[in-house]
Amino acid sequence: MNPTRTEDRKFQKELNAGTAALVLLSVVSRASEPIYGYQIAKLIDAGSEDVPMMKQGALYPVLRSLEKTGLLESTVEPSVTGPPRRYYRITEEGRVALDRWTVIWNENKGFVDSVLKGTYHE
Amino acid sequence: MNEAIDDYLARLKAALAGADRATIQDALSDAEEHLSTALEQALETEPGIAADAALGTIIETYGAPAEVAAAYKEMENMTPIALAIPGPRIVKPRKHRFFGVLGDIRTYGSLLYMLLSLATGIFYFTWAATGLSFSAGFIVLIIGLPFVTAFLLSARGIALIEGRIIEGVLGERMPRHIAFFRKDLGWWGGFKALIGDSSTWSAILYMILQLPLGIIYFTITITLISLSLGLIAMPILHYVFNFPFVQTNHHAYYLPGWSMPIVVMAGFFLAIVTLHVARGLGHMHARYAKKLLVKGD
Repeated sequence: MNPTRTEDRKFQKELNAGTAALVLLSVVSRASEPIYGYQIAKLIDAGSEDVPMMKQGALYPVLRSLEKTGLLESTVEPSVTGPPRRYYRITEEGRVALDRWTVIWNENKGFVDSVLKGTYHE
Repeated sequence: MNEAIDDYLARLKAALAGADRATIQDALSDAEEHLSTALEQALETEPGIAADAALGTIIETYGAPAEVAAAYKEMENMTPIALAIPGPRIVKPRKHRFFGVLGDIRTYGSLLYMLLSLATGIFYFTWAATGLSFSAGFIVLIIGLPFVTAFLLSARGIALIEGRIIEGVLGERMPRHIAFFRKDLGWWGGFKALIGDSSTWSAILYMILQLPLGIIYFTITITLISLSLGLIAMPILHYVFNFPFVQTNHHAYYLPGWSMPIVVMAGFFLAIVTLHVARGLGHMHARYAKKLLVKGD
């Protein structure tokens, strides 16, 4: 579904704010070797069928912030044709965080699903 | 690479006005990396496509400058930098503020930087002075231009490394990689851009000024540290090693026994003052370094 209405876009944006870090951490952790921004954006686009989850430009600041908090690390490699590329890889700390975040995500997802289905009782 | 990319970067920079300069540099290099890579891939997969048309789609999925700028600004507000955690500003009683310096990790980073700055200052100064004089001498020779280029690039590399030291030790956000040049300018165009870029010269100026600054920082810090330690150790020096307070050719002066607690306390007081001085100098130096080493608007 393409979120065109203002309130839909706002809702999507707020959802993304929380999930982008989890998604990026997971994508980088699955890569067999260090991966750069454009590849990450491609993988995410391939995974979201209809509409990209978020603008690709908004992924980069999340990558930077994950690196700042030590969950990712990066190296800059020169490229043959263009500007140098920043390659990201997950740190040990990042893997631990990813495991914890996956648990948190599953709990939340289960809760929201059960509320939406009406099967949730206090 | 492409005028449309340059135009996008200029609009992104304008949209980022007011953000941290290092954030702006990060955002610009991220965008340049992404757009060039995406364009290159698009031209490879569809050889017939017009670059401008391809770039239109690429920019559409990357996001408008305003959107991307908003994402960076948001992230800047959300994640504090490892050392430079702003935190809520609580006005503490004077006593706590005075001793608080002991618990501030930046104090020790600054102290380390002050002691390190003499060594780095000597190295930077020697490098800059040697590079400049050899450049002047070689300029008439065939190796002149390559030498000047190598030297100017090395100055920018050193500026980046110094920035990393300052971010690690003083906690001031600095660029994480070098600002690069357009690739389509060619050798001569790149050289002119390097010469014409004020940040090349401000990096060299920084390297030269680092020697006098390093000497001043080192001297102030070492003097204060030794003075504090000397005062704190005074009772031991007096009574164990029989070391006088002041010694002239014929006379040695000792302090009376009752003054010892005061002297030791003065020593501790001075030690804490030293930490304040180091932290203050570190703070000032970080701001000054950011002015010279980070490209302005």
